[in-house]
Amino acid sequence: MRSLLLFPLLLTSAAAADAVVTYDEHIKPIFREHCLKCHGEDEQKADLNLANFTSVLKGGSGDKAVIAGRASQSLLFQAITAEDDSERMPPKKAPLPAPQIELIRQWIQGGLRESSASKSLVAERDTSFKPAATLNFDGPPPMPESLPTFTPPKLKRPLPIIAMAASPRAPLIAVAGHEHVRLVDANTQKELGVLAFPEGQPNVIRFSLDGRVLMVAGGKPVQSGSVVLFDIKTGKRLTTIGDETDAALAADLSPDQQLVALGGSGKVVKIYNTADGKLRHKLTKHTDWITALTFSPDGKKLASSDRAGGIHLWDATGGGILLSLAEHKAAVRALSWRSDSRMLASGGEDGLLIWWDAKDGWPAITNTNAHPPVRPTGYYGKLPNGVLSAAFGPNGELLTAGRDKQVRLWAANGSVLKSFANETSLPLQTSITFDGKGLFAGDAAGAVRYWTAAN
Amino acid sequence: MFRSLFVTFLFAASVIAEEAPSFRRDVMPILFRSGCNQGTCHGSARGKDGFMLSLFGYDAKGDYYRITQEMVGRRVNLAAPEQSLMLLKATGKVPHTGGELFKPDTKYYKTLLAWIEAGAPDDAGAVPQPVEITLSPDRIAFEGGKGTQKTTVTARYSDGSKRDVTDLALFATNNPATAKIDKNGIVSASGRGDTHVFARFNRFTIGSEVIVLPQDKNYAWTNPSANNYIDEIVHDRLQKLRLLPSDVCDDETFIRRLYIDLTGSLPTTKEYREFMADASKDKRTALIDQLLQSDGFTDLWTDLWAEMLRVKGGGYAPSATDVKAADVYYEWIREQIAKNRPLNEFVADQITGTGSNLTNGPANLYTMLVHDVKVTPKNLAADFSQLFTGVRIQCAECHNHPFDRWTQDDYYGWVSFFTGIQRKLGVEPREFYVFNDLSAAPAKHLVDERPMQPTVLGGESSVPKGKDPRQALAAWLTSPKNELFTRNLANRMWAHLMGRGLVEPLDDMRVSNPPTNGPLLDALAKHLGDSGFNLRGFIRDITTSRTYQLSAKPNKTNADDTRQFSRSQLRRLRADVLLDAIVEATDGQRGFTYFPKGTKAIQHYPRSPGDTTRPMTGDPFFETFGRAGRASVCVCDTKFEPTLSQTLHMVAGDTVQSQIGAGQVIEKHLKAVTPPETIIEDLYLRALSRKPKPDELKSLLELVGSDTKDRKPYQDIFWSLLNSTEFIFNH
Repeated sequence: MRSLLLFPLLLTSAAAADAVVTYDEHIKPIFREHCLKCHGEDEQKADLNLANFTSVLKGGSGDKAVIAGRASQSLLFQAITAEDDSERMPPKKAPLPAPQIELIRQWIQGGLRESSASKSLVAERDTSFKPAATLNFDGPPPMPESLPTFTPPKLKRPLPIIAMAASPRAPLIAVAGHEHVRLVDANTQKELGVLAFPEGQPNVIRFSLDGRVLMVAGGKPVQSGSVVLFDIKTGKRLTTIGDETDAALAADLSPDQQLVALGGSGKVVKIYNTADGKLRHKLTKHTDWITALTFSPDGKKLASSDRAGGIHLWDATGGGILLSLAEHKAAVRALSWRSDSRMLASGGEDGLLIWWDAKDGWPAITNTNAHPPVRPTGYYGKLPNGVLSAAFGPNGELLTAGRDKQVRLWAANGSVLKSFANETSLPLQTSITFDGKGLFAGDAAGAVRYWTAAN
Repeated sequence: MFRSLFVTFLFAASVIAEEAPSFRRDVMPILFRSGCNQGTCHGSARGKDGFMLSLFGYDAKGDYYRITQEMVGRRVNLAAPEQSLMLLKATGKVPHTGGELFKPDTKYYKTLLAWIEAGAPDDAGAVPQPVEITLSPDRIAFEGGKGTQKTTVTARYSDGSKRDVTDLALFATNNPATAKIDKNGIVSASGRGDTHVFARFNRFTIGSEVIVLPQDKNYAWTNPSANNYIDEIVHDRLQKLRLLPSDVCDDETFIRRLYIDLTGSLPTTKEYREFMADASKDKRTALIDQLLQSDGFTDLWTDLWAEMLRVKGGGYAPSATDVKAADVYYEWIREQIAKNRPLNEFVADQITGTGSNLTNGPANLYTMLVHDVKVTPKNLAADFSQLFTGVRIQCAECHNHPFDRWTQDDYYGWVSFFTGIQRKLGVEPREFYVFNDLSAAPAKHLVDERPMQPTVLGGESSVPKGKDPRQALAAWLTSPKNELFTRNLANRMWAHLMGRGLVEPLDDMRVSNPPTNGPLLDALAKHLGDSGFNLRGFIRDITTSRTYQLSAKPNKTNADDTRQFSRSQLRRLRADVLLDAIVEATDGQRGFTYFPKGTKAIQHYPRSPGDTTRPMTGDPFFETFGRAGRASVCVCDTKFEPTLSQTLHMVAGDTVQSQIGAGQVIEKHLKAVTPPETIIEDLYLRALSRKPKPDELKSLLELVGSDTKDRKPYQDIFWSLLNSTEFIFNH
């Protein structure tokens, strides 16, 4: 009879998220069936006893067995879902049936309730957006005024929009082109000018917090890489930072414009002084190519991600590590800070879109399949479902792009507000204008599309 | 709702010129030819330096994704095609672990550039696939030991078109000491011999035979007689290679060789004397026929099959390999061999084996090939294939077989035959019912997780649903038309009798490992099938051939030949046969733990009170002399290599000395006051099945001296004989 009850739970896991899974009713019978012979009252291999709720929480010699709200980081869940036969529990046996694994996952995610009368052990998280105090900048919003003339060469095909940014203060969008950056009026969508970037491909474009400086990072693959700062009004090159042997794949300018962080295939994050171009810190914790770097708007933290799914939070000025955010299983493609510096969004090739609480590195909101592709009939195998871009707007809203060729607008609480299809080409970059009214997406065919948030 | 703005470079599909290179047809072969997707480079499972391709290109869709989509703008640059990283890397213009692969003025570069300039398009719709490749000429002979020959590789595609792919293929030789082949397919002779050169393209491998002959004006074929088809084909081959077969061996050598090969025993002195005294012309054939009907033959061939089928009995019930199960299986095998059950039926019975492991012998194929508490379909599928077809299909699990015809489709279709094999607990803990769960999900293809219906190797379509697919598997496998099966069995039996398979290793049959005499293996396989898989008939064919009966002594042409059967090859006795030989020669006695007294080594299979997963030989002597531990189906588990511990065991171990002591052969002679020359002759006949030569006898008599009661010198002589290479080897 029980299986009749379990399957609907699995099939409608979204709907069942509210259904309460408890130790007494659901989990202990599973443990009894598969685990208690070695981890029970009579024998406690690895000092682990799963026969009563208190000892489950206590864990074993290897540390806590379960962490409320985080199945992926719970040893017990890792043990029953290990791919490798020699690492998986129960040993020398087939894995637990999928419905039982799903129940255990739901029980951990739901906060390890003992009985239906128990409360979830996961604290409620406040994900609401409270605008940071308005910064007072001198003068009018910076817009290009007297850019040098530069005519990009005529090409048969444009560069895919591999980088794009919106000014935080002005109706201005900067878009990557082949060895140049185009500046476009966000209201009229007219091109205001072009900045030459003879260094190569612009892989990252960022505006400074005051909107006056444009950072362009990139280079020539496996040849050279650097970061160039431009004055947005005059188009003047302010400084060039870094002399890398490969193009910079990730970079950011600190809010006070004192620091530039850059990284790429070298797996090292380098932090340079903008004033003298000197290397200040080398952050060497990543195990794969650096894919994204971003300073928090309050200037306190630097977030970095890599192609193996690792994300680290650093002390932006001291260079020490603060937190490691482990959840992604594949390359992280995008990082973005909410303007209140309380939330960091990450998106990756594993389909995960996560809103991290920057205070303690907890995944406050996790969407496991933020851009689910439609499976063509008769098509087998994994469909790429990566999240390629994520950019917060001024009001805590998030604009993402994914391999499902959709551009998606999310509310601060993680719910979908709108989806826009970009059928003809893969959207690579997203930006929200300073006033939150314009939504931009750049795609692999080199086109930029525009929607208004109002409709 | 939305507006598309700025420069939306609307290049319609029309821009992609019709002659734009195709990714699958034109680009992928360049990656293959240039080595990009080989195992040491980007074809490694984890890629290389951050970029991965499927090994030898088994996953075109995935490769297209990784090149164009994984990191948009990096590997191909549509805005500035010649700055694409893949071109810069391949031409060595930027640091590249693989170095410079080709220059910008080559066809390879131009094709890749044209593809990127066309927008690096994916193929729309189905692209014609290569269905076959040919390498011509398929036979190359270099007279006078010198010369070069250009070869051409042609691919035939699924749309019927043909294309010269010589400059897209990869080449290899099996023996560079005989012939080399360069990257343009030009073969050059390097030294006397025969070998094969190979071309690989797409998922195909094909070989051409190369024979290099020195100028030899003195060579003349001596026209030896042919006893049967085996001799005719061998002689034809030897003539081509300018070899002459050795002479036929003498009767003493023959009787010892035949007894060991057919019965695993030495001839007794009585049997020796009877045979030597027989003056009839066909006495060899008569002896062959006699031994084929002996119990010893049944014992030995049961032993060989039990070893291949990994028969081991244990005491750990959950593995389903209890001693009782092993015994039932062993006895069933013996019964089949005893009644000369056609080998195809013998195998088919096991494939469809269902029911209790304790009462139905053949069902134990699914306990003994496993030796584990659970059946792992992939392991079972791989072992099954290696055992019954000699094909190592597991190479196609992660990629299409690089040096054979097998694809991942073949592999996963094959695995699906075994996904339903289960054992459920019977009425007692040792008993398990073997059955095939027809509702089990088939194996999923690695690349796209497509469920693969059970399909025989090389088969076009899957087997019908509803029935136990093992019926179809057995029918296909054991058909006389199935060369995978007939060639495998023929090669294994040939190897037992001739000391070397036509294909070596026996369980690595593949296109790139061709037989040393292809027509012979074909003929043997055909005769085996045509004879109704008659075990004794087939062995009779081989043992009555002149080729089997050749001397090991080389003539002036064949001293170096170890592959063409122009002379007999020396072979160390199998561990179990050697132990029996020591016991027989000495009239000794030797027991085995868990077996009744009087059990011969070739009647023994490993038993233990515990788990049977680990390698088990069942006796320290077997351990030392390399009897298979039966922990895998690999032929390599039976070892023939000499080791120091073997020498030490024979010289100083407890076997030879104690058996001489136990048998009391010398003591009985001394008691009967047998003349010294007769004692020495008896010891020779016991150990070597031959009389001592006059000079041997003379010096041994000197050694014995005049004290006719002293057993010590005789013991030394016997010990020396049993320690001689001549005793330990079959020749």
